[in-house]
Amino acid sequence: MHIGLGELLIELTLMPLVAFIVGMLMVLMMRRVGARLQRRVGPPFFQPLYDIIKLHSKETQISHGLIHDIGIIMAVGGYIAAETLLPVPGMNGIAEKGGLITLLYVMMIPSLGLALGVGQCANPNGSIGISRALTAMLAYDIPFVIVMAGVAFIYGTTNLVEVINIQQEGGIAAWGAVQMPFMALAGLFALQGMLGKQPFEVYVAPAEIATGPMVEMGGKYLGGLFVMQCFQLYTASVLYVTLFLGGGENWLFLLLKAFAVLLIPISIAFLFPRFKTDDLVRLMWKWPVLLGLIGLVLINYR
Amino acid sequence: MKEFPVPVQTAEDPSVKKQSGNIFSNVFDELVRFAQSRSLFMLHYCTGCGAIELPPAMTSRFDMERLGIQPMVTPRQADILLITGYVSVKTLKRVILTYEQMNAPKYVIGICSCTVNGGMYWQSYATAKKLNDYMPVDLYIAGCMPRPEAVISGLRQLMEKIKIGEANSWQDYFKRYDYYLGNQQRLFGETWQTPTDIIGESKHYSLHTPETEGEHTRLLELHQRPLEPLEMRLGLSEKTEDR
Amino acid sequence: MNALDLLLLTSLGTVLFSVVFSASLTGRMLLTMLYAVQTVILFQIDAGTEMVSSFGFEIFNHALGLSFNGLSWFFALITLGSAFFAAWYGLNQQQKLLHVGLSANVFSMLVLLSAGDFLSLFIAWELVSWSGVLLMVLGKQESLVATLKYITYAIAGGMAVFAGIILIYSWTGSLAFNAVTENPLSLSQYGTLAILLIGGFSVKMALLPFHLWQAEAYALTSGPASVFLGAISARMGLFAIVITMMHVVDLKTLDSIFLIPELFTFRDFLIWVAALSIILPTYTALRQNDARLLLAWHGIGQGGYMMLGLLMYDQMGSAGGLLHVFNYASCQAILFMSVFSILHRTGTTNLNQLGGLVARMPLSFLAMLVGIIGLAGLPPMNGFVSKWLVYRSLLSDGMAIVFLASVIGTLGTILSVYKLMHNSFLGQLRVEHEHVKEAPWSMTVPMMLLAIIIFITGVMPGISLELVANAQSAIGLTPVDYHLGGVVSANSAISGDLDMIWVVLVLFSGFGIAAILFLSAGKSRRVHQLDNYAGGHFLNANNQYQYSDNFYAGLMHIIKPWYRYSFKWFEGAVVSFVNLAAVFSRSFFNQAHMLIWMLVVVTTVMAVAII
Ligand code: SF4
Repeated sequence: MHIGLGELLIELTLMPLVAFIVGMLMVLMMRRVGARLQRRVGPPFFQPLYDIIKLHSKETQISHGLIHDIGIIMAVGGYIAAETLLPVPGMNGIAEKGGLITLLYVMMIPSLGLALGVGQCANPNGSIGISRALTAMLAYDIPFVIVMAGVAFIYGTTNLVEVINIQQEGGIAAWGAVQMPFMALAGLFALQGMLGKQPFEVYVAPAEIATGPMVEMGGKYLGGLFVMQCFQLYTASVLYVTLFLGGGENWLFLLLKAFAVLLIPISIAFLFPRFKTDDLVRLMWKWPVLLGLIGLVLINYR
Repeated sequence: MKEFPVPVQTAEDPSVKKQSGNIFSNVFDELVRFAQSRSLFMLHYCTGCGAIELPPAMTSRFDMERLGIQPMVTPRQADILLITGYVSVKTLKRVILTYEQMNAPKYVIGICSCTVNGGMYWQSYATAKKLNDYMPVDLYIAGCMPRPEAVISGLRQLMEKIKIGEANSWQDYFKRYDYYLGNQQRLFGETWQTPTDIIGESKHYSLHTPETEGEHTRLLELHQRPLEPLEMRLGLSEKTEDR
Repeated sequence: MNALDLLLLTSLGTVLFSVVFSASLTGRMLLTMLYAVQTVILFQIDAGTEMVSSFGFEIFNHALGLSFNGLSWFFALITLGSAFFAAWYGLNQQQKLLHVGLSANVFSMLVLLSAGDFLSLFIAWELVSWSGVLLMVLGKQESLVATLKYITYAIAGGMAVFAGIILIYSWTGSLAFNAVTENPLSLSQYGTLAILLIGGFSVKMALLPFHLWQAEAYALTSGPASVFLGAISARMGLFAIVITMMHVVDLKTLDSIFLIPELFTFRDFLIWVAALSIILPTYTALRQNDARLLLAWHGIGQGGYMMLGLLMYDQMGSAGGLLHVFNYASCQAILFMSVFSILHRTGTTNLNQLGGLVARMPLSFLAMLVGIIGLAGLPPMNGFVSKWLVYRSLLSDGMAIVFLASVIGTLGTILSVYKLMHNSFLGQLRVEHEHVKEAPWSMTVPMMLLAIIIFITGVMPGISLELVANAQSAIGLTPVDYHLGGVVSANSAISGDLDMIWVVLVLFSGFGIAAILFLSAGKSRRVHQLDNYAGGHFLNANNQYQYSDNFYAGLMHIIKPWYRYSFKWFEGAVVSFVNLAAVFSRSFFNQAHMLIWMLVVVTTVMAVAII
C-alpha cells in the first residue's frame, strides 16, 4: 500500500492530534471514574483542556535552565513522534518503517527527556522520583518484553500493521487475547505499571516525595506533563488493543476497546494504596513474569 | 502607618477594564481568563484549626473538583495559597517563601478569622495578626471556623473575579515590595531574607515601580547574596577568569 | 608495495615517531595527523577484496603472510579512528609512555588484523596483549595492581591460545588458516579447540567468567588511554573469535557438540555466556560510584551484545554484532572523554561528589548525552540500530529468553547511564565547583566530532552498514540488505523493517511541534538552583540538596543479595589453586631431581601430542 507524500503528511499531523484529543477524553474519564468511585461528581467535561490552557497561560514560567526546557520539549515531542508509529484505522503513518521494537524505544525518549529536565531542577525529590520511575520501568518492562516476544512469535512479525491485519482477518478467534490469554493478563499488569497508577504510583507519591518528577514543574512545564499524560494514556491503551484485541476495525470500535481497556487499570487504581518501590519490583517480577513465561511455553508447544 | 488598599474588591473597577481594539486577542484573553478561573490548583497551607473544614469541601459532600479546583503539592504547581488559620511567626516565614515561589497569577485566600485580625490569638506574642501585611490577600473567608459552604462560596467569588480579570492583587507584591518587605523585616529582624529574587522578578513582569525598592530592600541588599540564575557557560568567558 | 604494506609501514613509523617526538606539542599534533594519514591509507585498500601484503617470511617451511579483508578493514577503521580521537584528546598530556603506547597498540592491532595464519595470529596476539600493558600503567598505584591482574589473565589466555594452535599443528601439520577446514577433525577435537581458542580469546574480550580484570585495568589509567582501550582494545578478542569460528570451528560444528545430550549444545552454551556477559557486568556497573569504573563495566556488558549477534550467525544478527563494535566504540570513546574532562577540571570522578556541572561544562554534557543515548540504545543515536538488529535476529530465531536477557541488559544500561549523567551533570552544582571551566578545546573538539559521527551513523546507518556488509561477506555470510536509512528483512522468519531516516525525521518534527507549543506559551524565567522547593525550608549554599548516593535504593534493596554470586568466588578459587600449585612447584624446585620431573612432564606432553 503506497500513499502519496501529501497524504502521509496529513496522516502524520492528524495522528498526534487525534491522540491528544482522545487522550484528554481519557484523562477526563480517569478523573470521572475516580470521582464516582469516591461518590463525587467529578470535573466538568472540558476540565483537562482548561487545565492545559491555564498552565500554558501562567504569567510565571519558572525554569531551572536550558535542559529543563529541552526536557519538556523532548517529553512532549517524543510522544508526538511515537503516535505516528502506532497504526490506527485508516492511518498507518510510518508504522511500517519502524515496528514494535522501534515504537517501544521511541516511547522511552519522553521518559528520558523528563528525566533530564527533572535532573536539572536540582531537587532531590524529583531525583528520587526519577530513580523510582526508572526502577518501575525495569520492573514492568520485563513482563512486557516477554509479552512482546510472545506477540512476535504468534504473529510472526513485529510490524504492527501486519499484527492488526492478521487479527482482523481471523476474527475474534485470532485476537491476541484469545490466542494467548496468559500473555494478555501479563500485559494488563505491565499496563498498570506503565501508566504509573496506584498501586504502582511509586514515583509520584505526593505525600512522600512531593509528586516526585513534577516537584519543580509549574506553568507550561507542568502543562507539558499534562499533555504527556494524555498521550501516555492513549498510547498505552491503543497499543494494548493493537496487540491483544485486534486493533480497531474502525474508529468507533477502536475507541470503545481502548476506553474499555483503560477502565481496568483506572478502576483498580482508585481502590488501592501505594506499594513500596521494592514491593513493586518484587510483585512485577513474580506474577506477571510467571504468567508471561507460562504463556511463552504454551505458544511454543501449541 | 502607611495606607494600603484593601485588596479584596467586589465592586467593578473601571480602570481594569481597558479593552484593546483587537477582537481576536480579546476573545483569546477571555478564553484564557475563563480557563484560569475554571482550573485552580490549590496549595493548602494548613496552619490552624480551619484545615479541618477542607476535607469535607474536597470530598463527596461538596466536591470542589466540580469547580475544577484540586489540591496540589508544591508551590510551583499551585494557583491558590490557602492559609487556613492562625499563622505563627515561624510559620509565616515558610508561608512567605511558599508564596514567593508560586507562579503568577497567584491568589491568596485567608480562611478563618485568625488570618483576618488574629482572631482569638490576638493577644498571642507568637502569631502574625494580619496576613495582608505580609502578602497581598485576594480573599478572606471569615468565621471561626467557616463551614465548607462558606469556603466554596468564597472560592466561587474568586473564580468570578478571575473571570472578569480583577484578581490582580499578586501584582501588588511586586509593585510595592518594599512595603511588604518592611513589614516582614519588622517581624523577623533585619537579616530576614528568602532564597528568591523578587526585584528581579518584578522587572521580568515589568511591574517594577518606584515603590518596589526602598529603604527596606536596601537593607536586604546589604546582606543578601544575589541569586542570579546559573547561566550555562563555556569556560572561556572572561567572567570566569577574574573571579 | 601495495597499500597494506604502506599502512603497516606508516604505523610502524608512527611508533618510532612517537618515541622521538611525543614530548613536544607539535610532535603530538603531528602524531595525531599520522593516525589520520593511516586512515587515509586504509581507505586506499579495497574493503571488498582480500589484499595480501608483500611482507612475509618462512618459518619451519611455513609461509607466514599478512593479508587484509573486509573484516580486518572494518576493525582497522575502528582502531585507527579510536586512536585518532584518543590522540587528539590527549594532545595536552605530557606522558610520553601514553603516546608511545598508543601507537604501539595501533601497530600491533593492525598486525593482528592482517594476520594470515595461526602462527602470525598468535605472535600478533601476544604483541597486542603486551602493548596493552603500556597503556594500563599510566594511572596511580591502583592501575599497577589492575595491570598485574591483567597480565595474569593475559598470560593464561595466551597459553590457552598457544596450546590450541599447537594442537592444530600436531593434528593437521599446518598452521595455515585453511588447515582445519581441509583436514576435518573429530568432534571431540573440535570441542577441545573451541574451548582452548575461544576460551583464550575471550579473556581479552572479557566474557564471563574471565571479565574481572577488565574494568579496573581500562578505567583507572590516564584519559586518552582509557578512551582507546575502552573503545576498541577488547574487541580484538572478538576479532580473533570470529577468525576462530571462520577457520577452526564453525557454528554448525559448535551446534553439533552437545554438552547435555539432545538439549544443550556448545553454541547454546556460548549464547548463554554472552547473555550473562550482558547482564552481570551491566548490573555491576549499576553499583559503581566511580564514573570511570561504571563505564568500563558497561564496556564488558556491551561485549556480550556483539558476541550474541555473531553467535546468531544470520544476516541480521551478525550485522548487529559487528555494527555494535563500531557503534559501541564511538559511544564508549565519547563517554570516557566526557568523564575524563570532568576529572580534568574537578579532580574527581566520584559520582557522589559531583553534580550540576551542566551549567559549567555544557559541551561535555552534550557529549555525554549523545553517548548515553547511544550506549543505552535509544533512537536517534547509532547504538539503537545495532541493538535493533540483534533483537530482531533473536526474535526471529525464537530465542525469547535470550531476548529477554538482552533487554534486561539494556534496561540496566539505561538505569546506570542516567545515574552517571544525573550525578555528574544534573542536580545541584556544588559550591566548590562554582568556578569550574569547560574542558579545553583539545578535548571538546574531538568530543563534538564524535557526537556528530554517532548521530549521523544513527540517522543514516547505511553508511556503517556498508562496512559491515563487506565484513560479513569476508567471513562468508550473506551481507545484510541495507539502504541508507536502515535495513529490509524480506526473507527472515519474522518480518519488520527499519528506516531510521523516517523515524528521526518524525521524531525531530515532534520535537519541533513541542518546541513551538512550548515557546509560544510565555517567556520562561530562570531561577537560581537554591530557589527550590524544600517543604518551606530555606536553602542556602551550604545545603547539600542533592540525591546521589544509593541512587536506586528500592531496586538495590532487592537485587543486592544477588551480587554475592558474582564471579569473585571463581577468581578466588583460581587464585588459591595457583597458590597451591606454586607451593608444590617450589618444593619441586627445592628438590635435587628437578630435571627428572621436567623430563617426565615434557615426555608426557609430547606423548599426548603425538597420540
Ligand atoms: S479562626 Fe478559629 S478555627 Fe480558625 S484558626 Fe482561628 S481559632 Fe482556629
